[in-house]
Amino acid sequence: MKTFARVTIKFASLFSLCVLCLGMAFGQDNALKDAGVAAIKDEGIKAVPFMVNYASYFTRVTAGQVQASPSFAPLLLVPLGNKWLIEVKGSYADTFARNSKGNYEGTMSYGLAYAQVDYIANRYVTLAAGRFITPFGIYGERLAPSWIRALQATPLINPLLSGSSLGGMLRGGVPAGTDKVHFNYAFYFSANNTNHIVATDRSTGGRIGFFLPGPRLEIGASFQQLLQADRSHSAGIHAEWQPNPIPLTLRSEYIHSSGLKGSGYWIESVYRLSQIPALRRLELAGRAQQFYADPKLTKALVGKLGALGRDTNEADFGLNYYFNSDIRACASYGRQFALKKNANVWVMGITYRFFTPFGPTGGGL
Amino acid sequence: MKIRSSMMGLLPALLFFSLCLALTASANNGGKSKDTSTASTSASHSAQDDSMRAEGEKRYRSNCSRCHAAPPKFAPRMMATIVRHMRVRATLTEQDQRYILHYMTQ
Repeated sequence: MKTFARVTIKFASLFSLCVLCLGMAFGQDNALKDAGVAAIKDEGIKAVPFMVNYASYFTRVTAGQVQASPSFAPLLLVPLGNKWLIEVKGSYADTFARNSKGNYEGTMSYGLAYAQVDYIANRYVTLAAGRFITPFGIYGERLAPSWIRALQATPLINPLLSGSSLGGMLRGGVPAGTDKVHFNYAFYFSANNTNHIVATDRSTGGRIGFFLPGPRLEIGASFQQLLQADRSHSAGIHAEWQPNPIPLTLRSEYIHSSGLKGSGYWIESVYRLSQIPALRRLELAGRAQQFYADPKLTKALVGKLGALGRDTNEADFGLNYYFNSDIRACASYGRQFALKKNANVWVMGITYRFFTPFGPTGGGL
Repeated sequence: MKIRSSMMGLLPALLFFSLCLALTASANNGGKSKDTSTASTSASHSAQDDSMRAEGEKRYRSNCSRCHAAPPKFAPRMMATIVRHMRVRATLTEQDQRYILHYMTQ
């Protein structure tokens, strides 16, 4: 298994070097095409530090158990010069649920989603160091924030992976020889950290993807090798498509974990009713998913992963209403199906975000 | 195991090939860049600005709406920070970053 890990690391290193060189080769023509765009770079816009504050309040009813949870997640962005960026995102939530006496009791939780320093080395590579969201699939890095996700219930396969890592990462996006295909990648190494707030696993892995801007289609694959405990590995594929003629988004992700966890997939569709003026603020969302727990996984651990049973299917439907780009009301209904037991999952709530700049912003638009 | 060893053998070859390709491409483009810069300076500034704005809008629509509802235009200096953040988070290309920033600050 150690040999496999070594081979994986070597493979990832050599692959990323190949990517860099190919990017340099194919990027030459684009450099010429973008000669005019270079003028934009120095048009004098100096980035300003600011904080984005995400606040939300949700009521969840899972199999008859009511939970109310207000949460707050501030994100601090500090640009330094033209190439550096510091990103720090924290989270705080209180979850109120009935205790054995029938009274509501609150449980406070807080954490650090990421605290990373990014250095844009050149047009092909960005280096990131610190605590960052593990680059695996599309949900964790791109869709997880409550103001972004179309359905508030987290996919059942999400806990199969460690959410954050601590170490270094190479990432970037480059045109793959033509503007019709963009190649994106992220490779990382993470150290083990046992602090309960910022715990991470010793692991390595990465993600590659191809985005076709014309048909607005992205397909990609991810890999993660755990370098501790059972040294399990996980592999996944993802796809996202937005057909040009209609405001529809289709997304899907599949993960298989070799460890004591399992495998599964989800398929999500989101339709914004922007073509009907009276309903243009409304968005419809639907998701189907299946989760298969590893046969060796105990009942308690299956429950800890958030699944109702060993093999769980779930279907969710939701409505989102955008009051404006910062305030959104959400409601969804889902039903989990497992062997000999089913459960309803209701979620209702509101998300809100506001910005606090730390300096002159250059005027409104 | 055989597959792994053959893959490990194939990768250095691919790396060498990529390096050669990179060197060849940079050598070939040495002369072209002068012509392009001359052409761009002679082009009408407003026409170039219009085409950049159109390209920026296209890239904004194809990239930003992949994950979230289209955001509004923010103040220019905030937009510069947001676009840099999104270049890292959503692995935008450098061209995407520049075009989108141009479009969003007009």
